[in-house]
Amino acid sequence: MALTGIEIFKQLPKTNCKDCGFPTCLAFAMNLAAGKGELADCPHVSDAAKETLSAASAPPIRPVKIGAGDYVVTVGGETVEFRHEKTFVNPTPIAVMVSTDMSDADVEAKIKMLDTLVFDRVGLKLKPEMVAVKDAGGDAAKFSALVSKILSIKACPLILVSSSADSLKAGAEACGDNKPLLHAATAENADAVAAIAKEKGCPVVAKADSLDALAQLTEKLSAAGLKDIVLDTGATDIKKAFEEQIIIRRAALRKLFRPLGFPTITFPCEMFDDPMMETLAAATMIAKYSGIVVLSDLKGETVFPLLLQRMNIFTDPQRPMATEQGIYPIGNPDENSPVLITTNFSLTYFIVAGEIEASRVPSWLLIIDSEGLSVLTAWAAGKFVADAIAPFVKKSGIEDKIKHRKIVIPGYAAQISGELEEELAGWEIQIGPREASHLSAFLKNWSAA
Amino acid sequence: MAFETPKINYSGKIREVKLGKSKNVSVGGESAYPLYLFEGENPNQPKIAMEVFDLAPEEWADAAIAPFKDVAGDPVAWAKLNVEQHGADMIALYLVSTDPNDKNMDAAQAAETAKKVAQAVDVPVIVYGTGSEEKDAEVLAKVAEACEGLNVIIGPVQEAGHKKIGAPCIGYKHTVSANTPIDVNLAKQLNILLGNLGVNADNIIIDPTTGGLGYGIEYTYSVIERIRMAALTQQDAQLQQPIISVLGREVWKCKEAKMGAEDEKYGDPAKRGILMEAVSAVSMIISGADIVVLRHPETVKLIKQYLKAFFN
Amino acid sequence: MKLVGENMNVMSKTLGPAMRERDASPIRKMAENIASKNVDFIDINLGPARKQGAEMMEWVVKTVNEVTDIPLFLDTSNVEAMEAGLKVVKRDKGKPVINSVSARPERMEALFPLAKTYEAGVVALLLGVDGIPRDENERGILWSELMVKCTEFELAPQDVYVDPIVLPVNTQQNQVQGCTNFMMMFRDIAPGYSSTCGLSNISNGAPEHLRPILNQTYSVILNHLGMESAIVDSFDADLTAFARGGKAEIRDLILKAVNGEDIDTASLSKDMLDYVKTAKLLLGQSLYSDSWLEL
Repeated sequence: MALTGIEIFKQLPKTNCKDCGFPTCLAFAMNLAAGKGELADCPHVSDAAKETLSAASAPPIRPVKIGAGDYVVTVGGETVEFRHEKTFVNPTPIAVMVSTDMSDADVEAKIKMLDTLVFDRVGLKLKPEMVAVKDAGGDAAKFSALVSKILSIKACPLILVSSSADSLKAGAEACGDNKPLLHAATAENADAVAAIAKEKGCPVVAKADSLDALAQLTEKLSAAGLKDIVLDTGATDIKKAFEEQIIIRRAALRKLFRPLGFPTITFPCEMFDDPMMETLAAATMIAKYSGIVVLSDLKGETVFPLLLQRMNIFTDPQRPMATEQGIYPIGNPDENSPVLITTNFSLTYFIVAGEIEASRVPSWLLIIDSEGLSVLTAWAAGKFVADAIAPFVKKSGIEDKIKHRKIVIPGYAAQISGELEEELAGWEIQIGPREASHLSAFLKNWSAA
Repeated sequence: MAFETPKINYSGKIREVKLGKSKNVSVGGESAYPLYLFEGENPNQPKIAMEVFDLAPEEWADAAIAPFKDVAGDPVAWAKLNVEQHGADMIALYLVSTDPNDKNMDAAQAAETAKKVAQAVDVPVIVYGTGSEEKDAEVLAKVAEACEGLNVIIGPVQEAGHKKIGAPCIGYKHTVSANTPIDVNLAKQLNILLGNLGVNADNIIIDPTTGGLGYGIEYTYSVIERIRMAALTQQDAQLQQPIISVLGREVWKCKEAKMGAEDEKYGDPAKRGILMEAVSAVSMIISGADIVVLRHPETVKLIKQYLKAFFN
Repeated sequence: MKLVGENMNVMSKTLGPAMRERDASPIRKMAENIASKNVDFIDINLGPARKQGAEMMEWVVKTVNEVTDIPLFLDTSNVEAMEAGLKVVKRDKGKPVINSVSARPERMEALFPLAKTYEAGVVALLLGVDGIPRDENERGILWSELMVKCTEFELAPQDVYVDPIVLPVNTQQNQVQGCTNFMMMFRDIAPGYSSTCGLSNISNGAPEHLRPILNQTYSVILNHLGMESAIVDSFDADLTAFARGGKAEIRDLILKAVNGEDIDTASLSKDMLDYVKTAKLLLGQSLYSDSWLEL
């Protein structure tokens, strides 16, 4: 178990010197306990305290950065096994595999999909992020040429996949400041690859086919001074990969077992030949703890479902997604179309918008900022009440878009209708159904007259 | 430094519920988290139920209706096709004809359809109403009576109508699908109420309500995980029931599953819909669903192959 | 434990209209009723009070002060209304308390100066820009931010009432642990500071007849961990009895559950057993359902 804030606080000098960047020692301790900041930021902590704290205050799964500048992904840094316990933190980057034995056209086509497959979703941009470059023939020159070519098409974080230290070195050099993930250090080449990773400041994958061997390997790499390590068990069988991912996560979190306290990488592209089954393997790895997944190809029909699933799994359960406040036209509404209002809890928005769409009745949906709360909660918290709704409706501009003055409020907020009628002069307040699934019937019977 | 796999202290077990007229299909029985086969038993691999509508569907995506165009409107033929051609482990019959906000057709007729379907196939049959409290109370009570002796799974049995539907389920010996909004505490409460009513725990499965992919599936994912956690590690007797995820209709309702090929970046429309359904099914199975209700035959194939990778 | 009566609330169906229409008699009557229950403070909750908040606060405070001089918690998000109340409130029996200042910059900037100018206490609400904290550590971070401000404005620690935010057990059972765990650290990280909480929120949404046992049991748990006051239903006599040190047998039983000691449940009366079940529920040892007492 990680240390509590108070255990950390007791070890600090309590001088509130602010040298750590926080206003007080207490603030520093609490932030450290919440996984924000590092003990090393305090220059005054005693050696004895450092010894007690440093081991325990480090995150149980190290966050590892790959890439540079605007093209960084962070993997790892997870603190729970089940998302409801807190949240999963760093969404699993999706990488596509290209190889030196592919034609230029094939490579280009795959890389360009990184730009094509970008989906906007409640203020989030969903997209695959990485390229894994495979050195098929062990030819360092060819490998580094391919790396350069890829980066000339698309600046993105790379995974360099080769068993040859020379190739990895040449590839890393071709990346310049863009720190690639080196795949992989194994028992055979650990010293050489560790030296390159150290020289270039790159994160490195440790690859071994048993968890014991993997732990030994990371200890060796750590001893060589490397901190940014990613784990690969080499599993090509989904059942084995699933088991290993769970055991690694559990060992890191429940036992604070440092040799496995790193993010992982898996290769669904090697688990199945069929791209659809590969997609299901990737979905499994995203849900169950893989730090990075590598796919054989990027297609809209395979990547889009994975991006949705990843977004869902990595949504903070205690900070639900919120939709932006505003007017949402659904199905080309006109001046005689119904107007509905609800809160900006994303799920509420999705469900209501979906049901309106399914009804095929063009409508105006007003979304009011209710701090991401659902209708009942927002009402109870005073965010979905007459004196918040009325000014919003007036300022929203909806009055210019419609001729009638009728607004439908959610059935669960029926109690505000009287006050809203007072506040929203000239409007008729209509009470909609309590359940969104009954909206379709409601809208079909609605008329502006 | 060598390490030992940290163990979970599983102190509870999921009840095994026997389904179908000859009680030949079992679900549940787990003594470990879903697919955690390295540390405990999942004696019954998750089952696939395939959807059948009692009326020809009107607003389905092209890709979803294509495999059923010859049987749509004939629920018995549709159910047989699903079992014989597509390998459905179970049938999920939706009595959409009774929707009070739509056709609002007769309860007795719908019950007769349910009976015919349940008689026509050997696999267990799930019969779902429309979720309307009033109409379901009428329709599902009639279904229970008409299907006496066929041990169908009747749902959604919700808190508001649990007595009116639960009682005939006890009387005519059916299994209850206990449905709540996505909330672990409400799921527990409904099972307590069903227990108080006299429904035997051997005849309850939990339907925690499934959100669509990209439309709230994460809530279901976590509620199922929490149910399993309470059941397996806190000996929560009320939650030690098999779980059903009714996901096909939720997924295929999503805009992106219905969309055609107009926007290139969304890829092949048929495969996209199938993968949205299959990725949802995998997510639900990983979180702990014992039954997934699916629509498309290709999804069924994929999930069967997926399960084979774990259970063979 | 000190008690802050919560019943003078604009959400009430009789008091709300009375406040808006300046009808003094229901307000006076309620103030007298609360005062007769021997509470230590009365919370005047006007909610957002967007319309004529200042006038309403001034009037309600004066009206209440006509019948009692029990010190007041002034509870509104309207800063002008807050100041209007502070200007006129009686302080013969103690300082008024601003309820509340969250760790949001605009709230801290607006309200700490008022606390200083009017020599008022403050409720330091552990709510940040990102909303409700998710666990004890995030509560700790917010407290550290508020504490810096309290020091900057030279507020005496005993005049600062830290509120760790109590959340409903029926929907956010995990979050109850965050509050409880924060209180376990409280004496170490906020030495000398006061504390309070919106206790009734623990049972918000639970069946009405079961709310008291949740409120009472959680009050015992929190009080044991150093919570020295709570904003409560003035008319829950059992809760008052616990707060005044009564019901020692039940209290001991609840604390046994808190300390993880073995409890011989077979020998307990139904009433006593209910408190044990409730304690286990609040400690996260069993999953909430409305029927938890029947299991």
